Amino acid sequence: MGSGDRSDPHLTHWSGPAYSLAAARSLFADVVRCPATAVLQMGSGFLTIDTEPLKSVSDIERTTLMTLLPGRIAALFGGRRWRSLAPLAVLIALCVLISIANPNFIELRNLVRVANSAAVPLTLAMGLTFIILMGSIDLSVEGTLSVAAMVVVLLAANDSNGNDNGWLAVLAAIAAGTAMGLVSGLVQTVLRIPSFMATLGMWFIGLGLSVYMLGGSAIRLNDASIRELALARLLGLPLAVWVAAGAFLLAAIIQYYTKLGRHILAIGGDEDVAKLSGVNVTRVRISAFALAGFFFGIAGVLAAAQLGQSHAVIGDGRLFAAVTAVVVGGTALTGGEGGVVNTLIGVLIVTVLANGMILLGISPYIQQTVQGLMIIAAVALSLDRVRLKIVK
Amino acid sequence: MNEIFSLRPFLDSKWTHGAIPLVLLVALLLIIEIAAPGFLTAETTALLFANTAVLFILATGVTFAILLGGIDLSIQAVASLASVILAQLLPSLGLAAFPVAILSGLAFGMLSGIVHVKLRVPSFVATLATGGVVTGIALWVSDGRAITIEEAGRENTAWINATVAGVPVVVLISVVIGIVSFLALRYTRFGRQAIAVGAGEPAAWAAGINVDRTKIIAFAASGMMAAIAGVVLAARLSSGSPVLANQLLLPAIAAVIVGGTAITGGLGGVARTAVGALIISIVRIGMTFVGINIFLENMVFGAVLIAAVAITIDRSKIAVIK
Repeated sequence: MGSGDRSDPHLTHWSGPAYSLAAARSLFADVVRCPATAVLQMGSGFLTIDTEPLKSVSDIERTTLMTLLPGRIAALFGGRRWRSLAPLAVLIALCVLISIANPNFIELRNLVRVANSAAVPLTLAMGLTFIILMGSIDLSVEGTLSVAAMVVVLLAANDSNGNDNGWLAVLAAIAAGTAMGLVSGLVQTVLRIPSFMATLGMWFIGLGLSVYMLGGSAIRLNDASIRELALARLLGLPLAVWVAAGAFLLAAIIQYYTKLGRHILAIGGDEDVAKLSGVNVTRVRISAFALAGFFFGIAGVLAAAQLGQSHAVIGDGRLFAAVTAVVVGGTALTGGEGGVVNTLIGVLIVTVLANGMILLGISPYIQQTVQGLMIIAAVALSLDRVRLKIVK
Repeated sequence: MNEIFSLRPFLDSKWTHGAIPLVLLVALLLIIEIAAPGFLTAETTALLFANTAVLFILATGVTFAILLGGIDLSIQAVASLASVILAQLLPSLGLAAFPVAILSGLAFGMLSGIVHVKLRVPSFVATLATGGVVTGIALWVSDGRAITIEEAGRENTAWINATVAGVPVVVLISVVIGIVSFLALRYTRFGRQAIAVGAGEPAAWAAGINVDRTKIIAFAASGMMAAIAGVVLAARLSSGSPVLANQLLLPAIAAVIVGGTAITGGLGGVARTAVGALIISIVRIGMTFVGINIFLENMVFGAVLIAAVAITIDRSKIAVIK
C-alpha cells in the first residue's frame, strides 16, 4: 500500500474504481484519490504521483469496505455466487419454518391461495424489474395499475355505464398501461429528470385520472368472461395464476433472448459504456418504461378481475410490495445485476411471508413494517458499494 | 450577438430562480382578485394561511432533505403516525401526548437518516422503506381505524384551533417553525454545512464536514416537522388516522420544488418553500373556484411537479440521469 492508502472508509465510497470514463466528470474525486490511484490524467499530460500499480486500488477499497458492518454480513454469504443463492435459501427456510409452526401451510388449498395472491404482485414486479435493472425506479406502479383497472371496468360490462366491449376492454386497459409507461419514459428522457421524480408525478397523474373517471366511487365489473380470470380454474389453479406465469415467461424471454433485454442490462451495468458501444440509450429507456407499463396494465386487469370492481384504493400498497419483491429477490438498485428469476423468488418470499403471518395469527397491519425492514436489509446487503460513489 | 438577447443566462441566474415563484404567486393573487373582486379580505387571507400551515410545516421538513440532494418519502407516514399517537395518548397523558408524538417523528426521521447514511441505501428507497415501517406501526397501533379525539382530549387541542389577536394559532406555529428553520439554515453550522453538502458532496467531504452527521440531522428534522404537521392536522380534524396525511406527500414535495429549491440540492431554502406552499394552496383553492373536479387535483399536482423539476433541476450536477 502506498503512502496514499486511506483507511477512512468514507473517502473510498465516492471514489470507486470506475475511473476510465468517470474520470472526466469526477475529476474532483480523482484529485483526492490520486495518491492511491498512482496516475492522474490532467489535460493532455500525465502527472505521475505514485508508482503503485492501478490494479491494487480495488483491493484497497475492498478491504476497507469490509470494515463496514453490512460488508461483513455480505462476506458471510461468501462471494457473489453464494449471495445470488441467498434469496432462494431464505425462501426455503421461510417455507420450512412456517410449515413447522403451522402444518396447514403446506396443504394444497393453501398453496393455491399463495399462488393466487402472488399473481398480481408477480406481474407488477416483472415490469418493475426491467426498470430497476436499468438503475432507475418506477414509482408510478400504483397509478398505472389503477388506470388500467379503471379502463377495463369502464369499458367492459359494469354497473355505471352501458359499455360492453368484452375483451376489447382488456386490450384497451393494457394499452392504457403501456401508454402511461411510455409517457413516463418520455418525461424522463426528453425532459431529462431523474426517474423517481418523473414517475412520482406520473403516479399521482394516474391516480387522479382513475379516481376522476370513476367519480370517486367503486364500480363493479359485470363482464362474466373477464371475471373468469379470477374464478375459473385450469389444473386446479385460477386463470390469473396462469396469466402471471405467462407474464413471467414473457419477461424471461425478453431479458435473456432479445436485444432490448440485453441493452437494458448493459445500461444498468454502465450507461456510458453502453452508449459508447452504440446502444441507443434514450430509445431503450423509453421502451423499458413502456414495457413496464405493459406489465402494470396486465396486473391492473388481473386486480380488477380478482376484486370484481375498481375503486380509488385498488393500487394501495402495491408499489411497496413490488419494490420489496424485486430487491429481496436480489436485483441491485444500482442496476445491471439480477433479473426476472430473482424477482420470481422475491415475490414468493413476500407472498409466503404474508400468508405465513396470517397463519400464525400475526396482525396483518404489521406486514408493511416487515416489508419495509426487508427492503432495508436486502438493499443494504446487496448494494455493490465498490461501484457506489455518492449515495443520495 | 444572439447570446445577448438569449433568455437562457437570465433564466439560469440564481436571482431569477428565486424570483420566478414569487412573481407567479403575485400573478395568481392578481388573477383571483380580478376574477372575484373583494375575495382577498383579511378574513379569507387568514383562512388561506391557516389552510396552508400544515402543508408548509411538512414542506419545510422536506426542504432539509431536498437541500442535501436527497428526498424524504416517509413524511406522510410519519405525520399520520404522530396523529394516531396523539389521538391515542391524549386521554391518558393530556398535554404530554404532544411531545411524545413529536419525538416519535424525530426518532423515525433519525432512523431514515441512519439507514440512508450508514447502510448507504439511496434516500428515496430508505425513506420509502421506513415509510412502510411507520405506516405498519400506525395501522397496528390504531387497529386500522381512525381514532376520534373525544371531548376530554379536545380540551387539550383547543389551543391549536384558537386565534390570538385574530391570527390563528396554526399560522403562528408555522411562522415560528419557518423562522427557526430559516435561521437554522442560514446562521448555524449545521445549516451552512447542509447547503455545502447539497452543493457538492465530494467538496464537503474534502473540506472536513461530517457529511453523515449533517444528513442524519436533516432527516431527523424532516421527521420531526412531519410529526408536528401530523399533530396540528389531528388537532384541527379532531381525529387521528393511519392514512390521515397520505394525500399530503405530493403537495408537500411540489411546494418545495415549485418554490424554487432544486432537487439536485444546494440551492433553495425555507423562504422559497413558504412561497411554494402558498402557490400550491392558492392553486388548490383556485381549482375549486374555477370548477375543476376535486378528483383531478392529484393530476394537476403531478403535472406541476414534473414541470417544476424539469425547470429547476441543475443537470450539470448529474452525470447520468437515471
